[in-house]
Amino acid sequence: MTYVTPLRLEAITDPEMLELIAQARAVGVPDDLFPRIISRAPEQAKPIMRALLMSFTQGNVDHRLKEIIRVLLARFANEKYFASLRSRKAQAMGLTEQRIDEGCNAYEDDAKEFSEAEKWALRFADLLYLDHTQVDKEFYDNLKKHWTEAQIMELGSFMVCHYGMQMAMRALGGRGDAA
Amino acid sequence: MSTNPDAVDAAFFDTLRKHYSDDEIVELALFIGLNLGFHTFFGSLKFYPLFSPEGRLLTQAESEKFYGNAPSSLKTQAAK
Repeated sequence: MTYVTPLRLEAITDPEMLELIAQARAVGVPDDLFPRIISRAPEQAKPIMRALLMSFTQGNVDHRLKEIIRVLLARFANEKYFASLRSRKAQAMGLTEQRIDEGCNAYEDDAKEFSEAEKWALRFADLLYLDHTQVDKEFYDNLKKHWTEAQIMELGSFMVCHYGMQMAMRALGGRGDAA
Repeated sequence: MSTNPDAVDAAFFDTLRKHYSDDEIVELALFIGLNLGFHTFFGSLKFYPLFSPEGRLLTQAESEKFYGNAPSSLKTQAAK
């Protein structure tokens, strides 16, 4: 139960917001609850929905890796709502629940066969919000061996949007034991 | 939300509602959430403002001297 009552879906009439909600439904992240809450602040709601969707579904980083990172960050944030949602797009691309758990908990284990590029991206997510002091010049030098600067900005911007909104949802009452 | 998110509970919201509407609380939560996200990432990229407090254009090395010692940890600030 959220601390703030979500708007009824019928109360959202802005055509662009409705289109963003439809896009989100197709992906599966976020579901209708998040836009119904943030539409209480309509000037913020549309750009935030756009940023969430664009950073998650567009770009040059594998969507399945982004989905693992998104769930990992939601678990860090101890935010049940976003941690419980799953990308239908990633599932259609073959991402399984087992692989998500391996990415969140055991990506350093060579037996799990994550590529070096994937490991560095997952370390990026791990460290940025657990111990950002370790994300230093040496860390970026290593990251650049596997990812272009454009991809690093894509990953960083994606994490900014999703972690930030996970923390917002946690504050608004979407928290609990992470899924 | 930043240093002790567990403290943002129902009792906290009851107090917050004495001063802000639910719409304003959502607006604040979104603003604070985004700032939590991007300050951590952008902080790691080590870039600094283009201008000094007096409006003089700075190189990044000069700007780091001006702004590089700005608060690096909200927890440190909270402890103070």
